[in-house]
Amino acid sequence: MIEALELRKVFKGKTAVDDVSFYMDEGESVGLLGPNGAGKSTTISIISSLLRPNAGDVRLNGTSVLGKPQLIRQVLGVVPQEIALYQELSAYENLKFFGGLYRLGGKPLELKIQELLEMVGLRDRQKELIKTYSGGMKRRINIAAALLHDPKIVIMDEPTVGIDPQSRNHILETVRLLNRDRGTTVLYTSHYIEEVEQLCSRIYIMDHGRIIASGTKEELRRILSGEDTLILQLDKPSKRLTEELRALPPIRQVEETESGLKLIAAKQSDLLSQVVQTAERHQVQITSIHVQTPSLEDVFLHLTGRTLRD
Amino acid sequence: MNPIFLAQWMKEKRSPIMVLAFCGLSILATLLFGFGMDNRIKIGVFPGPGVEASVAKQWIEHLNEGDAIEFFLQDEEGARSDVRGSRADAAVQVMQNEYRLIASTQNPNVRLVEHHLRAVFQEELQLRAAAAYAADERGLREEVQRYLEQPPMAVEMRTLDGSELVRYDMGLQLLFTFTLFLAAFTVGFKLNAITMEKAAGIWSRMILSPVRKSEMYLGHLFYSMLIGFIQVLVVFLLFRFGIGFDMGDHFGMLILVAALYILAITAFCMLLAGIVRTPEQFNMVFPSLVPVMPILSGGYMPPGTITNPILLGISEILPLKHALDALTGIAIYDKSWLDILPSIAKLCIIAVICMGIGINLMERRRA
Repeated sequence: MIEALELRKVFKGKTAVDDVSFYMDEGESVGLLGPNGAGKSTTISIISSLLRPNAGDVRLNGTSVLGKPQLIRQVLGVVPQEIALYQELSAYENLKFFGGLYRLGGKPLELKIQELLEMVGLRDRQKELIKTYSGGMKRRINIAAALLHDPKIVIMDEPTVGIDPQSRNHILETVRLLNRDRGTTVLYTSHYIEEVEQLCSRIYIMDHGRIIASGTKEELRRILSGEDTLILQLDKPSKRLTEELRALPPIRQVEETESGLKLIAAKQSDLLSQVVQTAERHQVQITSIHVQTPSLEDVFLHLTGRTLRD
Repeated sequence: MNPIFLAQWMKEKRSPIMVLAFCGLSILATLLFGFGMDNRIKIGVFPGPGVEASVAKQWIEHLNEGDAIEFFLQDEEGARSDVRGSRADAAVQVMQNEYRLIASTQNPNVRLVEHHLRAVFQEELQLRAAAAYAADERGLREEVQRYLEQPPMAVEMRTLDGSELVRYDMGLQLLFTFTLFLAAFTVGFKLNAITMEKAAGIWSRMILSPVRKSEMYLGHLFYSMLIGFIQVLVVFLLFRFGIGFDMGDHFGMLILVAALYILAITAFCMLLAGIVRTPEQFNMVFPSLVPVMPILSGGYMPPGTITNPILLGISEILPLKHALDALTGIAIYDKSWLDILPSIAKLCIIAVICMGIGINLMERRRA
C-alpha cells in the first residue's frame, strides 16, 4: 500500500533520515521503534507529505506522491506527537472544526463526532475545554481529530508520551480496535518497546536516522537466537567486575541495572560458571541469576550498544 | 476558509478581554490626552533689565489679542530654564520698545511666535509714533480702534495653496494616533495565531486536510483585519456620535482610510511574523517595535515638529504615518480623495510588499 524508498533528509548539514526504506501492506499494523532523535518524526513527516525529502520517493499503491501530495492526504490521518488542538475550545468544538476542514457537516459530522468521542471514552466530557483536560485526555482527542474523515491509513507519532496508565491503555485499545476491527492500516511510532510489541505485526528499528533492523517480533528476536540474556542481582556494585565480564569472550553486551547487571552473551555451556568465577574473584556475591529469552530491548541493545531510553 | 475564521471567532468569544482592553485604552488615552486639550502655544514673557513688570504686562495684553498663542508673565530664570529643558518652545524678553526672542530650536511654533511678535510690536510702535504727533493721543487711539473694528476692506488669511487657514486640532490627531496604534496591537496579536498554530501542529493538520494554503492564510488575515477594523470603527463612532468630536464632514472617507490602514498594518504584522521563528519571539519583538511607530510618525506632536531627514525617511515605511496624514487631511483640512491619493498609494504599496515578503518568508521557513 505505502512504500518509502531510500528516503534522505538533511537539515542544515545534519542528516536526520538516511537511506530509509520500508513498506506497509493494507490492514497491517507496523511499528517504527527508536529512541528520541532517531528520525522517526522526520520519516513520518516525509511520508505524510509535510516534508519533502532530499532524496528518495514515497509511493501509494505504486504511484509516487511527492509531486501529488493530495493522493496520500485524502487517505491519511496523522496523529502528531504534539497536542495539535485549540486549547481554548471544547473537545466537541475542536472535532467540529477539524471535521469542517474535511468539508464534513450536518448530521453525518455530528454522528461521527459522537462515535469518535465514544471510542476515545470522552463522550460525557465533550463540552469541557481542552485546556482543562489531563494530558491523557488531550491525547485521546488528538487521536479522534485524525479519524474524522475515516482515513485508510493512520500514522501515530508517539501517541502515549507522558500520560497516565488509564489513558495509555485506552489509546492502545483504540489502536487495536482501529486495526483489528476496522481494517485501518496503522504506522505506530514509539520508543516504548512493550507498546510496539503489543500492537504491531511488523517492526522497523531506527537509530541515528537509519533503519537498523526490521521484521516480525520473532524475526527480530532471532537476531539474538545464538545468545542468552542473563540478569544478575549482586550484593554490591563493582566497576572492576563489570569491566572484566565485558572482556570475557562470550559476552557481547554488559548493561548496569538498578540491582546488578544485564548480560547478553553467546550460548555456551560454561557461560554461567565463567560469570560466577569472575564474581567470586572480585568478592561480589551473586544473589540471583535469571536467564531469559531475548526481548526487543535486548535486540536494540545488541544492535546499538545502548538502551532505547538512553 | 470558513472553519478557520469561525474557530478564531469562537476563541475570541471565550476570551474577548484583549480586544475590549485595547478598545478601552484607545478611548481612555484620547480622553486623557486629547479631549479638552488646550492647543495654544504657551510663551513666558519677562521684563528686560531696567524694565518695570507693568511694562511687560502691557505688552502681554497686546500680545494676547490673538488666540493661537498664550503669553504669560514669568520670571527670567524660570523662562530660560523652560526653554533649555524643552518644556517651552520659546520665551520673550520685552523692553520698552523692543523684544528679544529666546529659543533653543527653530521649529514651526517658534516661527509662528516670531511672526506674531513682529506684527504686534510693529503695530504698537507705529501707533505710538503717530500718537506722539497727535494733539489728542487718547482720541487718536480710539479713532484707530474704531477704524480697525469696521475696516473698509477685510483681509482674509489663506494658506500657501489657497485654502482657508484652519486651526489645527491636536486632540483629533491624538484620537487617530491612539486608535490606530492600539488597533495595530490587536491585529498583531491576532495574526500571531498563525505562528502559534504552526508551533502547536494545528497548521500541519490543516495542510493535510483538503483546505488550500491560500484559504488558511485568508482565514487568519480576514479575521485579524476584521477585529482590528471593528475596534477602530467602535472608537470612531463613539467619539463622533457619542462624545461629539468634530471629525469633519467626511466620516465615510475616514472609515475607508482606516480600513486601508488595517490592511497595511496586517501586512506589516505578517512580515514580522515571517521574520521571527516562534510565537514567543513575536510576542517579544512586536510590542517593542509598535510603540516606536507613533513617535516616528509624529503622532504625538504637532505637524512639522520632526525635521530630522533620517527620522522622516524611516517614517515613510510606517503605515501609521500615511494613515495619519490621510485622516488629519480629511478631518481637519477637508481634503478630497485626490489630495490624499499619495498617502493612500503608499499604504497600498506597503500592504502589497509586506504581505508578499511575509508569506514568502513563512513558507520558506516551513520548507
